[in-house]
Amino acid sequence: MHEMSVVWLRVAAVLYSLGLIHVLLTVIHRRRERVFRVAMAAFSTGVVVHAVSIVEHSLATSRLAANDFFQSASLCALLIALLFLFLYWRYGYESLAVFVFPLVFILTLIGELGSPMARWGDMRLRDAWLLVHVGLVLIGYAALFLATVTSVLYLVRERQLKAKRPGAAPSRLPPLGTLDKVLWRALSIGFVFITLSVIAGSTWASIEAGTHWIRDPRIVISLLTWALYLVIVFFHLTAGWRGRKAAVMVLALAGCSVITWAAHTGLRSLLAR
Amino acid sequence: MRLFITGLNHRTAPVEVRERLAFDHHSLGPALGELVAGSGVLEGVILSTCNRVEVAVTVENGCDPQAAVDEFLSRSRKVPLDQIAPHLYHVQDEEAIRHLFRVAASLDSMLVGEPQILGQLKSAYAAAKAHGAVSGLLELILTRAFGVAKRVRSETGIGESAISVSYAAVELAREIFGSLADKQVMIVGAGKMSELAARHLRRSGATRIFVTNRTHERAREMAAAFEGTLVEYDRFLDTLPEMDIVITSSGAPHYLLNKSQARRIIEASKNRPMFLIDIAVPRNIEPAVNEIDNIFLYDIDDLQRVVEVNVGERRKRAEQAEQIIALEVERMVARLKAREVAPTIVSLQERLEEMRQAELARLRGKLGPLTPQQEEAIESLTRGLIGKIAHGPISELRRQAAQPEGIRFIEAIRKAFRLED
Repeated sequence: MHEMSVVWLRVAAVLYSLGLIHVLLTVIHRRRERVFRVAMAAFSTGVVVHAVSIVEHSLATSRLAANDFFQSASLCALLIALLFLFLYWRYGYESLAVFVFPLVFILTLIGELGSPMARWGDMRLRDAWLLVHVGLVLIGYAALFLATVTSVLYLVRERQLKAKRPGAAPSRLPPLGTLDKVLWRALSIGFVFITLSVIAGSTWASIEAGTHWIRDPRIVISLLTWALYLVIVFFHLTAGWRGRKAAVMVLALAGCSVITWAAHTGLRSLLAR
Repeated sequence: MRLFITGLNHRTAPVEVRERLAFDHHSLGPALGELVAGSGVLEGVILSTCNRVEVAVTVENGCDPQAAVDEFLSRSRKVPLDQIAPHLYHVQDEEAIRHLFRVAASLDSMLVGEPQILGQLKSAYAAAKAHGAVSGLLELILTRAFGVAKRVRSETGIGESAISVSYAAVELAREIFGSLADKQVMIVGAGKMSELAARHLRRSGATRIFVTNRTHERAREMAAAFEGTLVEYDRFLDTLPEMDIVITSSGAPHYLLNKSQARRIIEASKNRPMFLIDIAVPRNIEPAVNEIDNIFLYDIDDLQRVVEVNVGERRKRAEQAEQIIALEVERMVARLKAREVAPTIVSLQERLEEMRQAELARLRGKLGPLTPQQEEAIESLTRGLIGKIAHGPISELRRQAAQPEGIRFIEAIRKAFRLED
């Protein structure tokens, strides 16, 4: 990839990351207007820089910058970002940001991985970086585990209340409203940590092992699990997804996460150069 | 000293009799004075509620207060004795303690486990205390009865589940939402039951209440009664997406809310859980609404079933409660026995005197002949000695007698001085 356009792409990724911060804050706490405005400004600037990067690269090679997987991911991210800006400008559809900001950031990050990075300067830094990835994912999984247990309890409790025989149950579970609150709180925290760990993990892997791993099915499973997570959180925040169906979705997500976990064993050999 | 209870309750007497015997706030004071003025009566308490009238007295030994208390009731309430006598029950001593404990723990109530009786008993005690009618044994037993009631309540959880339809609705709301603070309630149609439910909900923290009714006038009355906000009847469906709890009891002959309307409402409210309570007959809400995710619909029969389950549960807990009471009565009786220390003191004095005499007799041979003055000196020396030895234990016995664990001390003294039973 053309050298200058890589720099532009990285600047765009940094700008998009502000959008990501806004989303993570929204997920764990509540929306803040000021943060959103800053994030939106950064995001719009990011789109411009991103476009510059792609145009520059296309001009330099006299071909549309969609030659390989990484360039396609980057282009895809730009198109999604442009579509979102249009919808936002035309219809004020800002709740979509919860979905679009992380997606665009991750796609841009993947696109950027296509160009080789500087090797590790210090092996201790490399190990620490990996430790951060593992630590984040473990915290994320702990929260996800709590959410899973809570959704099972939610389903049991909901069934009791719908069957109109509460009190008859021998165990006294917490109220449905409490379970719902705990479930989404745990799920939100899990989302934040897992998103950060995906970023940490993919950055580590690209520095360590270049880019050949990205199409490995095991990695694809992880990214799809994260995407499912994003979808669930997005629909909860915007469409008020909750109740029985949402609890079932959380169980599906827990299943995918178990598969991801299992797939990750043995990844080290894949990442060896 | 002995304890007697005379009374009648919802099981032994119809309301026509109970209402004639009831003491109101004003007549209680003079009646208490009259009660303890009776011969041999040491203390008295009068408990008067809508379901029972009971008189508890402690009397001196050898005095039978049954006739006197019956007479007192008849005289003070101006009811001929032969009209109330068939409805009265009499219990004494251990049985009276058991009765008092059961009443306090709400095991003798019409709605077993209802919490009001304890408060009523406490105010009966407060009234007696204020008029100087309790001071000793009765006070001891009454305060223990409050403790027993508290123990029964916390250990068996007998009062936890709702046994009335309106309260069951509130309990269900708590199971769905957890806290009811800030929850919005809509009441459609007037009625005794919806009024009760609204009152319970308000007490549980759901302070934002909206009311609507087909006739505007009635709706305005309801709004005033519930301290609620009036909503026009023809637009109440539009406000439902903002509501958390809806109580319907309208006389409408058709459904006010069908499944497709409910589905639109839950979508508009972004799937916020909703609790619908339909106590109207014929029903106001289509039963299939319960199939929608995040909506919980209970009709009058569903609530009644919840109540039945709870009543059964309460019966089981009442059995546990009876065991606790049996244990507590046993303890109380032992404690009262401990109060009776007089026999122990007498035998302690006898035992020491016996020892003194025996020692004197043993030494007399060795001492040889003594002058009357010497005789007197030895007598006063030994008497003084046992008097001093006995003084500590005896005054401590008297003091410990009133303490809960006094019986242990008495036993220890009996063992230490080898006192026979």
